[in-house]
Amino acid sequence: MLPPILIEGLVYANIITLLSIGFTLTYLTSRIPNFAQGTFASVGIYVTFTVTKIWGLNVYLAVPVGFTLNALIATLIYKGILRTLKKHGASLVSLMISTLAIELLILAGINIYADIIQAKLWIISRTFLLKYLDFSYVGLPGIFIVLTIFVLSLTVVLYLFLNRTKFGIAMRAAVEDPDLASLLGVNVDLVSTVSWFLTGGLAGIAGCLIPLWFQSDPNTGSMLTVSIFASSVLGGLSSIYGAILGGYIIGLTEVMGNSVLTRLLGGWAAYYRLLIPLTILCLTLLKAPRGLVGLIESIQTRGYKLQLIRRR
Amino acid sequence: MELELLTLFVMDTIVFFAIYLLVSVGLNIQMGYTGLPNFGIVASVAGGAYTVGWFVGRFAMMIYGIEGMDFINNNAYVVTQINAKLANDHLTAIMIFLLTMGLVIIVGMALGFITAYPAIRLSGDYLAMTLIAMAEAVRVIGIGFSPIAGGTLGVQVPDPFAWMGKMRYFGVIILILTISIITFLMVQLIINSPFGRLLRAVRDNEVTAESIGKNVVNVKIKAMILGSILASIAGALYSFYASATIPAAFTRYDWTFWAWLMMMVGGTGNNIGVLIGTLLVVLMRRLIAFYKFSLAAFLPFEPLWLELIGLGLVLILIMIFKPQGLLAEKPTRVRGVKSD
Repeated sequence: MLPPILIEGLVYANIITLLSIGFTLTYLTSRIPNFAQGTFASVGIYVTFTVTKIWGLNVYLAVPVGFTLNALIATLIYKGILRTLKKHGASLVSLMISTLAIELLILAGINIYADIIQAKLWIISRTFLLKYLDFSYVGLPGIFIVLTIFVLSLTVVLYLFLNRTKFGIAMRAAVEDPDLASLLGVNVDLVSTVSWFLTGGLAGIAGCLIPLWFQSDPNTGSMLTVSIFASSVLGGLSSIYGAILGGYIIGLTEVMGNSVLTRLLGGWAAYYRLLIPLTILCLTLLKAPRGLVGLIESIQTRGYKLQLIRRR
Repeated sequence: MELELLTLFVMDTIVFFAIYLLVSVGLNIQMGYTGLPNFGIVASVAGGAYTVGWFVGRFAMMIYGIEGMDFINNNAYVVTQINAKLANDHLTAIMIFLLTMGLVIIVGMALGFITAYPAIRLSGDYLAMTLIAMAEAVRVIGIGFSPIAGGTLGVQVPDPFAWMGKMRYFGVIILILTISIITFLMVQLIINSPFGRLLRAVRDNEVTAESIGKNVVNVKIKAMILGSILASIAGALYSFYASATIPAAFTRYDWTFWAWLMMMVGGTGNNIGVLIGTLLVVLMRRLIAFYKFSLAAFLPFEPLWLELIGLGLVLILIMIFKPQGLLAEKPTRVRGVKSD
């Protein structure tokens, strides 16, 4: 069977991938780096908590609830706050600091919810792990199977959506050149709204499944922030497939690198797990700022140029 | 009793105002005047605090020849012993304080130089992401590597003001306020000097500044270093005030976000505005903290979260309705030139 470290790595990589797809999507369509992306996942964590511990239902029933709730929250945030700010001519820096403020608002909301549950229902609502609720199939944990299948099919669905449907093509046009696209009748604002809806939903799904594998509390989501940045930047912040690639690379390197380092240097190395994505982030920005996608593109164009030279 | 409570409240507000003033003015130098959005200013604050946690106790142990003890493992015992000696030895205590502050400034410079590395190469969102990640890393290193400042538990810091005796509480606060105000005035001088105008020139139009022969990269590095030094001093003073350094306290909300909020409320690029903004935000936070216990009786949750919601909304509203802050930036006054 698969070695446990690989399962651990892939579960983490899948979660990071889902979050960084969302991060890249909103960055592409509305040009806002959403620093609250990690905290969106925390909302999902508490949806799972509610569904399993309070309503006593199956864990996987939390996923559709988390998707809808989070998608609505994200849409509301975009429509209510960020678009208003943009209309008032806010600069990029103000938009970034406002996403930090939004992170704070969501975090406070989750904490209030957790406090109320603890006070009224007498259930411990922080630092919980729901691993025991998960099923397992041929020795593989359920979350691993579900997440892997979901991310793979999501890749296919997104590819079909962006290439085969009218709205998907309009979305790509809006990313490429918003002014020209809106001139040709594409509703650029609708495109942004849909992308925020999707971002929230995907983060909700990732968040719903986090408690099945990791110990969770309201801050768990924002701890992932650095990894999300790193994988999105490694992907190049220019295409969703880049984010998927980056998410897998960062997730696997983080988990495996961490295990190798702990084995070589001792248990204290585990504290510095965060330094792995940080190093990759800095190296990417300094050596290949356009990320993996940019790197692949430049290799392709170089090959094309070589062909041209040879033909001459 | 009432009077005592009021004094406590005023003193608390003053000390937090003085400490946060340094951070937000430091940020204002970087963001307001030079246009470098430093989303990781907490790294410098933490650097200053770690330096105090790491240096003061060990140095005092060396001076007083306390041997066979580990500063971190036997922290409480060592600190009590040192404090007892420092209480009768104010010359050594003052020397330790000054030496530590010197070291803190060097650490602040180093951190500013490190954060300038991405700041001169990247811009906007990429810079913000890198600096947030770097600041997280500084915090994680502090929590994980216990020899610096005790790891998760933090360390107690020997008190170089123990010789003040009963007046220690007021003495330290007055000292912190004095340092803060003097630094603020010095920054005002710098900002109104040709160098201050150069900072604004770089912010407003890099190409023009470069075309008239100014070294833009150099200016940006200097601005990052200057801001970082101020933030480090703030972190160090905070550690001295609390007589402890707890690495887990240096989160991006507590230092980066609040500093940004103070700057945005007061007025980006206007130090007087930032001063007013800092005062307002600190006063608001202290009021909430002060009435926390009377609020807690009515609410089924921790009132602390209301503070986050309130101030988060304040920031968003300020940015929608008054993006320049309470006091907008004014042109620099230059002798002999009429501006307006």
